[in-house]
Amino acid sequence: MAVVIGHIVLISVQVNAPSGVRVLEAVTFGVFSAVQRGVARAVGGVTGVWDGYVGLVSVQAENATLRQDVAQLQLRLQRERAMAQRARGLEALLGFRRDAVYSTVSARVIAGDATPYFRTVTIDRGTGDGVRRDSAVVSPDGVVGRVLSDPATRAAKVQLLVDRSAAAGVLIERTRVAGVVMGGVDAGLLRMEYVSKLDDVRVGDNVVTSGADGVYPKGIPVGQVQDVGGGPGLYQTIHVRPHVAFGDLEDVLVIVPGPATSTTAAGGE
Amino acid sequence: MKTARVGLALGLALALQTTVAPLLAGAGVTVDLVLVVVVLIAITRGAVGGLWAGTVGGLLQDALSGGVIGVGGLAKTLVGYVVGAFAVQFNVSRPWHQGLVVFFASLAHAACFVGLYSLLSDDRMATSEVGVLTQATANAVVGGGIAAALRAAPEALTRRRLRRRSLTRRFGG
Repeated sequence: MAVVIGHIVLISVQVNAPSGVRVLEAVTFGVFSAVQRGVARAVGGVTGVWDGYVGLVSVQAENATLRQDVAQLQLRLQRERAMAQRARGLEALLGFRRDAVYSTVSARVIAGDATPYFRTVTIDRGTGDGVRRDSAVVSPDGVVGRVLSDPATRAAKVQLLVDRSAAAGVLIERTRVAGVVMGGVDAGLLRMEYVSKLDDVRVGDNVVTSGADGVYPKGIPVGQVQDVGGGPGLYQTIHVRPHVAFGDLEDVLVIVPGPATSTTAAGGE
Repeated sequence: MKTARVGLALGLALALQTTVAPLLAGAGVTVDLVLVVVVLIAITRGAVGGLWAGTVGGLLQDALSGGVIGVGGLAKTLVGYVVGAFAVQFNVSRPWHQGLVVFFASLAHAACFVGLYSLLSDDRMATSEVGVLTQATANAVVGGGIAAALRAAPEALTRRRLRRRSLTRRFGG
């Protein structure tokens, strides 16, 4: 029996499904994503009870601070709205074409990677929700990653930007210097490659997507330059601290083709 | 029945690896629960049991992760077989012995896994010596804990059963 199973596994590893994905990968991912959804719900229930009852110490003081923050943010929002309105007016005046807006679906992270060596997560949205291979995944803080392979109907695997083989085309916001950020650096940092030693890059500069890779739309925040070094050769050694806390991801947005709309998470809760 | 129990243990480890382990990773602790279970199975079931557990656990892990299918499977198969063969020759019945075996098995697994990847691709694997040692230590702690719990569980159940029986005898059922 074990030998038969071994043969089936070996054969399925070499055979591709009609979608081009290996059968073993497709079947395991499809079946196990349902298990992961159930376990994630159970773990979420336990952490919810913990956060909702046990973790309420010092909430009152935190609440007062948050109220102050909200008031300040509301003021800032009003100012930003006024500025945006002015910018729209100027755009219209100059006849600029605005960047294409995109449609998003929100998704919940239901599982992490099965091995500690890769940085991927599973989300509860799939082909049924319009998610495709290479769909960009973002959060309010910035770029999260991209959909790695052909998704299942209600689940998809997302390669985080900090994964060793992930990359994205970026720009230094201040000077518009272009480069490529890559994952695989210890301590959750990204390294920015192909930036000439002649280019002006400083610690604290904001890094945003350039749109050149065809995956991430232009202008999405990626992170902040943490250190800049000379390094050997023609290029600078630049480390970028991402804005997104990849260890605490819960809800994300997947950019899907279609008119600019957004839908809520499949979980709904 | 034994095979079903092994399958269940691997399935549970895989489910916890993808749902609970990322929470620990957020706190800077990485743990490979599937490897821990493979090593514990190898210790109790010997070289052949360890080999099969490593093959199945590793292949499932590969299929669910973003890497090449077979690399984790081969690494865990080798580790499962070697640990099983070792456990037959030496006495590793105590939980802390098993924790120690998990520690060294984790180092061997990391060497196989990272070594195979460096042979297969040019991509740099994001692992440092400190990271590997931290993961091996975390695996050892979890493995030792599971071994201690598995050792204590039958005794606790028997003690509970005996206490209940004596209470029933004293006060009547």
